[in-house]
Amino acid sequence: MARNFFTMMKSTAPSATEPSTAERTVAPPPPSMKQDAAAGVGVHLDPTLEAVRHDFTEEVEMALELRDVSAFYGSFQAIDRITLPVPRNRVTALIGPSGCGKSTLLRCFNRMNDLIPGARITGRIDFGGRNLVDPNVDAVEVRRRIGMVFQKPNPFPKSIYENVAFGARINGYSGDMDRLVEDSLRRAALWDEVKDELDKSGLALSGGQQQRLCIGRAIAVQPEIILMDEPASALDPVATLKIEDLMRELAEDYTIVVVTHNMQQAGRVSDYTAFLLAGEERVGRLVEFGPTQDIFTNPLDQRTEDYITGRYG
Amino acid sequence: MSAAAPSAQLTAFSPRVRIRRSFSVGFMVAALLAIAISMIMLGALVVEIAVDGAARLFTDGTAVEREARGGGIVTDLPTPVGMAWMTWALPVAILLPFIGPRLLNSLVPGLPRLAERLIGLIVLAPAAVFIHILYVRFESAYLIDYARAVGIDGASGNLLQLFGEASGFQIVRLLVIGILLPLGILAAGWFWSQRMRKPSMLIPAIMIIAWVVYLFIDPWFLSSFPSRKPADAGIFSAVTGTLYMMVITAAIAFPLGVGAAIYLEEYARRNWFSRMIQINVSNLAGVPSIIYGLLGLQVFVRVLEFERSVLAGACTMALLVMPIIIVSAQEALRTVPPSMREAAYAVGATRWQVIRFHVLPYAFGGMLTGNILAMSRAIGETAPLIAIGALTFIAFLADSPTDDFTVLPIQVFNWVARPQAGFHEIAASAIIVLMVILLLMNAAAIIMRQRTRTDW
Ligand SMILES: Nc1ncnc2c1ncn2[C@@H]1O[C@H](COP(=O)(O)OP(=O)(O)OP(=O)(O)O)[C@@H](O)[C@H]1O
Ligand SMILES: [Mg+2]
Repeated sequence: MARNFFTMMKSTAPSATEPSTAERTVAPPPPSMKQDAAAGVGVHLDPTLEAVRHDFTEEVEMALELRDVSAFYGSFQAIDRITLPVPRNRVTALIGPSGCGKSTLLRCFNRMNDLIPGARITGRIDFGGRNLVDPNVDAVEVRRRIGMVFQKPNPFPKSIYENVAFGARINGYSGDMDRLVEDSLRRAALWDEVKDELDKSGLALSGGQQQRLCIGRAIAVQPEIILMDEPASALDPVATLKIEDLMRELAEDYTIVVVTHNMQQAGRVSDYTAFLLAGEERVGRLVEFGPTQDIFTNPLDQRTEDYITGRYG
Repeated sequence: MSAAAPSAQLTAFSPRVRIRRSFSVGFMVAALLAIAISMIMLGALVVEIAVDGAARLFTDGTAVEREARGGGIVTDLPTPVGMAWMTWALPVAILLPFIGPRLLNSLVPGLPRLAERLIGLIVLAPAAVFIHILYVRFESAYLIDYARAVGIDGASGNLLQLFGEASGFQIVRLLVIGILLPLGILAAGWFWSQRMRKPSMLIPAIMIIAWVVYLFIDPWFLSSFPSRKPADAGIFSAVTGTLYMMVITAAIAFPLGVGAAIYLEEYARRNWFSRMIQINVSNLAGVPSIIYGLLGLQVFVRVLEFERSVLAGACTMALLVMPIIIVSAQEALRTVPPSMREAAYAVGATRWQVIRFHVLPYAFGGMLTGNILAMSRAIGETAPLIAIGALTFIAFLADSPTDDFTVLPIQVFNWVARPQAGFHEIAASAIIVLMVILLLMNAAAIIMRQRTRTDW
């Protein structure tokens, strides 16, 4: 398995970064260097909000386009004027140290923040010509078209079948429900494991199976975009690998935005990467965005390089 | 030597095996004892009947005496037969289902499952029949007793003639308990042999409760109306009035209370208004019940002109228990983790769909539990009903919500307040009935809470 894991990493991650990442993480940087980097952060953050943007290396449509998106929890500003494209049918990774607003940003995409009292968003999120941030846009409709998978697997305490069928049913799906459940579970790479016990409670599955069930549940409402907030952080390496494979497969039909703390994972699964960072006042800002390959091999911002090489965060 | 060594080692090093074996032996001894003593009692009974005849045997503690003493708690029940039945049949009935299969296992280790069950049934069936016989004998003793009191010569021992004189309630009791009891024992034994422990425990538990009620409460007491004479007085109207009022109270308070809780938890914005409501609800739970009574008197009895009816009482009680229901329903709603709501929202559910399909189902057990506890508070409340003027002497059954009514605590209050000792005794009986109802409700609440718990 370890071998498999390693080759997998090599084949999808940009090979040029590989040796240097290994080198740098194995040998801890001297303290002086660390300090320099930390000092650099402060200097860098203050003067400019403008994030570094790599050129697109391919022709690609955008599923979402964010313009100056800020999010607030009451009077606290969690993210500040983030401008970011999300390419269609690609995997986009959001990376950054804890508390920099990755989850907040992700939850802006499907108006999940509406559920938190006092939370509010400003700016524009272009989704098929409409602005998701506009309060007149129906959040329920947005959430149907933009699904979400959470960090901790959270299947409903109902049967596996019901878990998958629920979303379709409440959205008025009138086709063959059995087929839909089977299809969704197949796409979630779970069908073969559960096909004989669809009546079993979703809670009776293992953590990795639960997470795949949650992915199946999200797929069943046929969304255009699937948001994943650290979908594998509660799972063991094997289950993680399954989820990663799944993400790559799903990217053929869906747009995927994934938050991850795991640099190798970001390298393996994502096509594009956005790096966020919060300054001293804890306001998250976008630092750098571009094709994952470019971000990992050739980061233009010193802070990005420090982060992906494990210098801080 | 070499063959003996491993088994000696096994015994020496596996205390569990030893313990289990000593358990089996204990069970075996207990079972044999119980069976032997029961057989002796049965034999003695047969002999006694044969020698002295039924009539003489059954003359102790007559209904006439009971009449003279004032009815109520039936302490004079145990005639020799009744005593035998109570002392030996009960433990046997309760123990047998548990020990039958084990007993067999310890006697013949390695018995095949099927044989074990078959033999278990074979052992249990005679036990059930035996208890059935005991019961019928006992009941006929009772009937003879009764026959004497009403002037029929019971010495003939003609059960059919007695049936003609016995009340419908008695006959039903005879048939139901006399048949259901043995069946229950059989069922318990069967469940046990199927490794279905819970039902096999439940049946004896229900039986024990039934026995307690049965031994202390005279069925006539449950089925007759109040009277000027303690011996004739019963709690039929009070029990039915209580049940009637509780049903209406729950029907009013549960939907309203749960609705209020859903509003407060799921819909209300956290502002000064919802906070004020919340604080008031919590405070209302602590308002003395007599205040609710006065409120009910003015609002329901006078302004809405419900008179002193079941409806007025139920409305007042609904107000009284509403805060309890609201608070407990809120707590139940809060136990549904936010991740469940998020999961439902994330597949495009509306707020109502989230509540309807997820929050409510997961919280429903907790809500029901809270409702039952609130009801068990209402069942014991007296002051508000006295305030709205519930009557204490109701010699008919309420058949519409606008009828007069009485409830158990008021009946007890009334009897205790009377000078005659006979009334004090029947008040004690009524209290036992009230306690049993309360215990049953609380047990139901606990079971419900256990069964509906979800481990997230
Ligand atoms: N419900 C909330 N109310 C108030 N502040 C919040 C809330 N959720 C998050 N925050 C704040 O917003 C900031 C960004 O949080 P967020 O959860 O988006 O970070 P993150 O990048 O996802 O971190 P992690 O990697 O640890 O998950 C943090 O400072 C956090 O304290
Ligand atoms: Mg997060």
